[in-house]
Amino acid sequence: MGTIEHLINAVGTFTTPMMIFHVAWATLLGIFVGSLPGLTATMGVALLTSLTYGMERDAAILVLICMYVGAIYGGSRSAILLNIPGTPASAATALDGYPLARQGKAAYAMGLATAGSALGTFLGIILLVAIAPPLAAVALKFGSFEFFWLAVFGIIISGQLTADGNALKGYIAGLLGLAIAMIGSEGIHAVVRFNMGMPELNGGIGLIPAMVGVFGFAEVLTAMSGNDGLAIKSEKDSSRTIPRAVDLIKYRATIIRSGIIGTLVGIIPGVGEDIGAWASYTAARARSKEKELFGKGSQEGLIAAETGNSAVVPGSLIPAITLAIPGSAPSAVLIAALFIHGIRPGPMIMIEQPEIIYSIAVMLMMATIAILVFGLSLTRLFVTVLRVPNAYLMPIIFTLCVIGPYAISQRLFDVWVMVFFGIIGFFLRNMKYPMPPLVLGIILGALLDKSLRRGLILSDGDVTPFFTRPISAGFALLVVLVVLAGIPAVRRRFQRFSSSGHISE
Amino acid sequence: MMKMKSADMVTGLVLIVLGIAMVWGGFVMDRLEIRRIHPASIPGLVPMGIGAAIALCGAGLFFTSWRGADKTRIDFGDIRILAWTAGLCSVFALLLVGHLPFLVATFLFIAAATTRFGWKEGLGLKGNQRQIIYAVMSGAVFSALITALFRYAFLVRLP
Repeated sequence: MGTIEHLINAVGTFTTPMMIFHVAWATLLGIFVGSLPGLTATMGVALLTSLTYGMERDAAILVLICMYVGAIYGGSRSAILLNIPGTPASAATALDGYPLARQGKAAYAMGLATAGSALGTFLGIILLVAIAPPLAAVALKFGSFEFFWLAVFGIIISGQLTADGNALKGYIAGLLGLAIAMIGSEGIHAVVRFNMGMPELNGGIGLIPAMVGVFGFAEVLTAMSGNDGLAIKSEKDSSRTIPRAVDLIKYRATIIRSGIIGTLVGIIPGVGEDIGAWASYTAARARSKEKELFGKGSQEGLIAAETGNSAVVPGSLIPAITLAIPGSAPSAVLIAALFIHGIRPGPMIMIEQPEIIYSIAVMLMMATIAILVFGLSLTRLFVTVLRVPNAYLMPIIFTLCVIGPYAISQRLFDVWVMVFFGIIGFFLRNMKYPMPPLVLGIILGALLDKSLRRGLILSDGDVTPFFTRPISAGFALLVVLVVLAGIPAVRRRFQRFSSSGHISE
Repeated sequence: MMKMKSADMVTGLVLIVLGIAMVWGGFVMDRLEIRRIHPASIPGLVPMGIGAAIALCGAGLFFTSWRGADKTRIDFGDIRILAWTAGLCSVFALLLVGHLPFLVATFLFIAAATTRFGWKEGLGLKGNQRQIIYAVMSGAVFSALITALFRYAFLVRLP
């Protein structure tokens, strides 16, 4: 079957009344989760995974993708109305969204953000359908040597790009994730490692309890110890909600550029929506004819940030589906959910279940339509919900953090794991250690371990194939370059060298 | 509030110890000679590599923070509220859940946490009456809703 047939089949599957009902409630829930500061897309997807356990496969994945798209979009609500990004992905949105709201254009800013998010996701979907099948075909050529380097590259690049100025802390977070992944039975000889005398650790640390802890419980602690309440009144607003076509046409180049940047950022392992938004915002500012408006209520800046962060969603699913390597933290949970529901992401996906990529494209499209409908029609309701103080909300969220991981395995040990990771995550985040590399390390640990040892068995202990096979050599070179770029002294020398070369020209 | 520099130095030392422990753990791990596995596939190989990398990064963190002049402080927010949140959440997750029926444990947690976090200092019991009533109602409604959702809709055998 070709692309068009797969897409038509997927449209048929996902346009039944029941599926449309799932799209409606899951996207709406996602928008609320994203719009409430303290609740992130990762937390929403992780908590909802436990709720989809008993659902039929297609419906379960649909619900999780709608939650993901809705939450990333929903972050713009509080960023515009309260100047508090609902999710880290919306931090760039607040820069211009809030000044627009202060000028009495909150509704119009939300309309622009909605259009930007929808167009960004739409561009990402086109690239998903175009890139994922050939990438899966290339990935079939990957052997143990290439997968080892891919795992190393994922940790290094994620650590580098998500660290707040200190790449070393990003690498440390990634290495700690890898160390956690070493706990439990290993995948080649089934030897139990580092279980510290606890039989519960023989199966390893569960990804969902760890993620709910790091992103859920840690957020509860952060929200409660920081801002007390959310009851900030927005400005009186009489602007229209539906964006003018002329504005969208005027910023078409920004929309397309931000969509492409967002998707490409999404493809990079473990980087995520916030980097997509900032990269798009920076690029838009550099090329804008109205640079002086950026940060003071620029419509172009708002559109760039929202298009960029939303395009990361389909982008992050490209490596998640074809390589089983998540492009962002929420897509890491999605990989776990895909396994739970009997889908095996990885290079074999185009052979075993080729329809999945097209199904996911249609799911994303339906979620995009839903954010357009809800985003443009429920503005006033969002303002009311955003006034719920943390004191009332957080106890309920923590209850879900407890029951969510328990529901998957039905063992109390996973609740303890969640609490442990929540406390560790809270301290690490406050000490400026990024969390995505930690999560990526937990996911990629088994792949790295098995690939290295299998590669060494195949080469009879010789390490040269890791550096001489073409794709391996390319990845090895990339890893070296990324590590060098993370060393401040090397970066300074390179900048001096390039600026002196520029002057001599 | 703790200085970032001191925190980084302590973390660096902890990471060095953790890394060395991991290298040692990998080194003494069963090499399965009895099963005649390939020596390059011993289970301790990757843990040793990761341990060495952690120790190296720990040393890097220690020395860069020692030589650096970072004067930023780590802001954990309101320590009193943080302690209350961590305490209440830990008691609920580690003690109440599993020892009391889930419905009761959830009711107690939501009611207690909502009362504590919504408590207005200086108003006393009388001034906070409305808050307490709201917290008890919130506990009753949400514990019943969450319990019913997981037990009957998702067929989870609750603790």
